[in-house]
Amino acid sequence: MRPIATTVAVLACAMLAGPAVAEHHEEQHARTEAFAGLPYWPGYWVSEHQAGTTITGLAPIFTEPNPDLSNFANVMSLRADTANWNEEGQRRVDHVRAISGGRKANGWGFPMMMNSATPLRFLITPEETIIINAYNEARYIYTDGRDMPDELDMWPTTYGTSVGHWEGDTLVIETAMVQTPSDYFHGAPPFSEEARYEERIRMDGDRLVAEFKVTDPVTLNEPFTSSISWVRDEGFDRMIVIDWDNDRTGNDGQFNTIEPNAVD
Amino acid sequence: MKKLIALAGAACAMVGLALAAPSATAHHSFAMFDRSHTTTVRGTVREFQWSNPHAYIQLMAKDAQGRDVEWSLEMGAPMYLYARGWRPRTLRPGMEVSVDLYPLRSGEPGGVVVTVSDASGKEIGTNE
Repeated sequence: MRPIATTVAVLACAMLAGPAVAEHHEEQHARTEAFAGLPYWPGYWVSEHQAGTTITGLAPIFTEPNPDLSNFANVMSLRADTANWNEEGQRRVDHVRAISGGRKANGWGFPMMMNSATPLRFLITPEETIIINAYNEARYIYTDGRDMPDELDMWPTTYGTSVGHWEGDTLVIETAMVQTPSDYFHGAPPFSEEARYEERIRMDGDRLVAEFKVTDPVTLNEPFTSSISWVRDEGFDRMIVIDWDNDRTGNDGQFNTIEPNAVD
Repeated sequence: MKKLIALAGAACAMVGLALAAPSATAHHSFAMFDRSHTTTVRGTVREFQWSNPHAYIQLMAKDAQGRDVEWSLEMGAPMYLYARGWRPRTLRPGMEVSVDLYPLRSGEPGGVVVTVSDASGKEIGTNE
């Protein structure tokens, strides 16, 4: 190709691509701006008062000689022991407790993954926030302005369906269609699949704090509310995901026990 | 006095709740372990299971009659062991160790690990 023809061809391409390139740059700029306006919650978060868990698996508040008993209220508080259960709710609670001996599990599920010592990460983007723990349990909270999907487009799942939005630096999450939590994890509350969960999460100094509110016409006389918090624990330098595949919880009819290990 | 009794009652209720509830990294209650005393077991590591929701030390030890008994010794979840300085190869098959543990209430040869020491008595890893 002659030099003049080459120049004309390059100019033509540039003119054709120009608007698209400019639009792409504008999109990138807008997204960068959106990112800059978002909170940043780096680190590995565990429920406050469960931090410092030892190799025994016990948090220090369980073994300190003179523990601050008020701290117990924030340990596994999403079990909803303080909920005002209605008749159906209490029936479910009694049933779950009655069959809890020796029950195995595959993970925490929701909401308990938000209230355990298993480290959480909060990955915040303009379009969604992903909350993931070290058992690969993940929640996807869409913050792109979409509404909750139509009821016919949802079905009960372990982690439910979540949409969210930001009110200043507070992440507000609405979650629906959570499979009855105690079906997945025996220490979880037996809310029905009609329950709605609202969370308001924000930074408070070096802690993350959240207000939980659960409304469930099937099991509760009134909404269950709980305040929980997380701190960055020491010793974690990356997310190490290991399957939950060796639950050896057994029961001898009276006490839980450890299932014997078969000799190879 | 009434106030003191009420406070004591609340404290007992909270401790009871704490014992009944799945605790910390554990996914089950610690009521299955007798935490009123520790037992020490010395033996040889058969296997160190670096697994969720708990790690386990399978320890071969001798009973009072000199017979081999395999103990299943539960620990916290691997990510917490990692955070406290433990690694999957901290314990290897064949290692001679001494383990302080809270025994199972069921009487089975098992318990939850409090401290692990090597044959010379030196602590392995850390329990802090």
